[in-house]
Amino acid sequence: MEAISHAGTVLGVLATDGVVLAAEKKVTGKLLDLSASKEGGYGGSGEKIFLLNSNVIGGVAGLTADANSLVNYARSAAQEHLLNYNEDIPVELLAQRLCDLKQGYTQYGGLRPFGVSLLYAGYDPHYQFQLYHSDPSGNYSGWKATCIGANNGTAQSLLKQEYKDDITVEDAIGLVMRTMSKTMDSTTLGSEKLEFATLTLDPVTKEPKAKIYRPSEVDVLLKKFDLAKKDEDAEMKTA
Amino acid sequence: MSRSYDRALTVFSPDGHLFQVEYALEAVRKGTCAVGVRGKDVVVLGVEKKSVLQLQDPRTVRKVVMLDDHVCLAFAGLTADGRVLIDKARVECQSHRLTVEDPVTVEYITRHIAGIQQRYTQSGGVRPFGISTLIVGFDPHDTQPRLYQTEPSGIYSAWKANAIGRSSKTVREFLEKNHKDDLTREESIKLTVKSLLEVVQTGAKNIEISVMESYGKVTNLDLPQIEAIVQEIEHEKEAEAERKRSRLAATAAGQAAMSSRATGTPGE
Amino acid sequence: MECSFALTGKDYVLVAADTTSARSIIKMKVDEDKIKTLSPHLLMAYSGEPGDTVQFAEYIERNIRLYHIRNLYPLRPQSAASWIRRALAESLRSRQSYTVNLLVGGFDTADKTPHLYWIDYLGTMATVPFAAHGYGSYFASSLLDRYHNPDGTLEEGLDALRRAIDETAKRLVVSPGKYTVKVVDKDGVRVIDL
Repeated sequence: MEAISHAGTVLGVLATDGVVLAAEKKVTGKLLDLSASKEGGYGGSGEKIFLLNSNVIGGVAGLTADANSLVNYARSAAQEHLLNYNEDIPVELLAQRLCDLKQGYTQYGGLRPFGVSLLYAGYDPHYQFQLYHSDPSGNYSGWKATCIGANNGTAQSLLKQEYKDDITVEDAIGLVMRTMSKTMDSTTLGSEKLEFATLTLDPVTKEPKAKIYRPSEVDVLLKKFDLAKKDEDAEMKTA
Repeated sequence: MSRSYDRALTVFSPDGHLFQVEYALEAVRKGTCAVGVRGKDVVVLGVEKKSVLQLQDPRTVRKVVMLDDHVCLAFAGLTADGRVLIDKARVECQSHRLTVEDPVTVEYITRHIAGIQQRYTQSGGVRPFGISTLIVGFDPHDTQPRLYQTEPSGIYSAWKANAIGRSSKTVREFLEKNHKDDLTREESIKLTVKSLLEVVQTGAKNIEISVMESYGKVTNLDLPQIEAIVQEIEHEKEAEAERKRSRLAATAAGQAAMSSRATGTPGE
Repeated sequence: MECSFALTGKDYVLVAADTTSARSIIKMKVDEDKIKTLSPHLLMAYSGEPGDTVQFAEYIERNIRLYHIRNLYPLRPQSAASWIRRALAESLRSRQSYTVNLLVGGFDTADKTPHLYWIDYLGTMATVPFAAHGYGSYFASSLLDRYHNPDGTLEEGLDALRRAIDETAKRLVVSPGKYTVKVVDKDGVRVIDL
């Protein structure tokens, strides 16, 4: 639990026509090679936000190594469901599968519990768009908007004030961006510090469509909400 | 490394206690309160529902669950443990139907759950389940309502009415004082709500009631229904207090009159 | 000999199965129900090796019910059929396999459509508008091909089914005498008297 309260913030907001996830990256540095997340793959740097199945994206807070093995487990569980039932795994069922694993690690001796909390943003035909949170003990619950990791208290109260039941994905993106900019330690936001993803329905096929933003796309989004890092040189010139 | 896994976590203390089991009971005592009341031909489960946070989805917070068509369970303690134990019980319910072509009896599934709980106090490398359960239901081809309780130690027992979780002692004492045999449906529900109000200060919105009237017939009361019952109880309490006040006033007046007579006219 | 038929209509699925239970050349029983109700909107007609059939059907029934109780909602027909097919396919590759042929019909309450699946003991599955197992299929397939209307009313569906059953009774040397007929639609499962 303690490990998670220091981890990078992960924030999720459920909208009427989609779900939005955003996460603060802690591992940064001038020499870190980020080229892998710029091209290839499915977007994202693979540190905080993962595609768990075609209908579910997950955000993790806590010990990164534990998180990776949980993400692997989630992906296998989702594929196993697809193999058995020929349908995308219902979101709550996937959350349950991970929670059963996490609960097991608290009950069976010799092993320490997973130090990871997760947010699951997904879609299934039973309950449409959903957002779940699970903690290291194996508890989970569904949310309209929630936050894990550092400063989650502040973020939570900000969300409580601003959330409306009929929020759209567009507005949710704005809400997430504003909340993130207020809760993150750093004063300026940039793609090297932020991961971002949405899950919506494809307008044509009506199938769930997960989009994990690439760094360049995150920057575009930040600029749109006027939260981007100010170009210091430009400021100097004008001054 | 592998040796440590083989060793039991739950071991006797020198004075004969199993500390892990007692810690598990402590987890139960911290859990939300659940009450079960058996009437003449009805059995009622009531639970204290923690206030759902503003942004939380109430659908995903469940405290009373069905194990099969005719058996209902409420638990107090660690939610994650509850979910895992409930899952095992549900599998057993269907497995029992498959092997003997009959639904489980309430006692059978209680014994099964208690058996699992016991195993986790004794097996190597595991901790006990941090939950107590109340199990209610009807046996197949039977009209007798049943109510059982299980504990982390694996003890199970049948009850006319009982409570588990936070302040369960207060509630149990209340039930002991107020429970009568052969309660009707309405009386059973009212007693359940009344006993829960002993620990739930916030009233109807934090109470959940499930009623089982016969084999497989379960109804969950909605908020207005519970509110109505809470209101009725409050009216009764007020009336009772009023009566007490007037009785007190009457006795006080009587005493005053007596004392005035005694001390009033010594000269005469 | 065992016969089962099924067909879809506009908003329902009809499933029919004979009621004879035979051993060698002897009829042991003529009121056996060979159609299981797996969940509120799902039917399964089963035929094949006696013993295997009931054993397998009950196993499926209990597992589908378990899924329903665990998740508070039942499996959709498409998912249930896929799972059943997989169970059969896995059994086929074990030491002792189930020799069971199935017709799975269900009404999907999510998108309000009827679904019918034809599954055989080898684990073949096909989504079909009408289907049959047993010797009756030799007569029913052609008749239903001619008379089945995928958008038909329940009456039309029952007429087509009657044709198939009557033709089987007329032409098949060892035709079964009685059938149970069940329909599943938005209101759930009902037994129908032909």
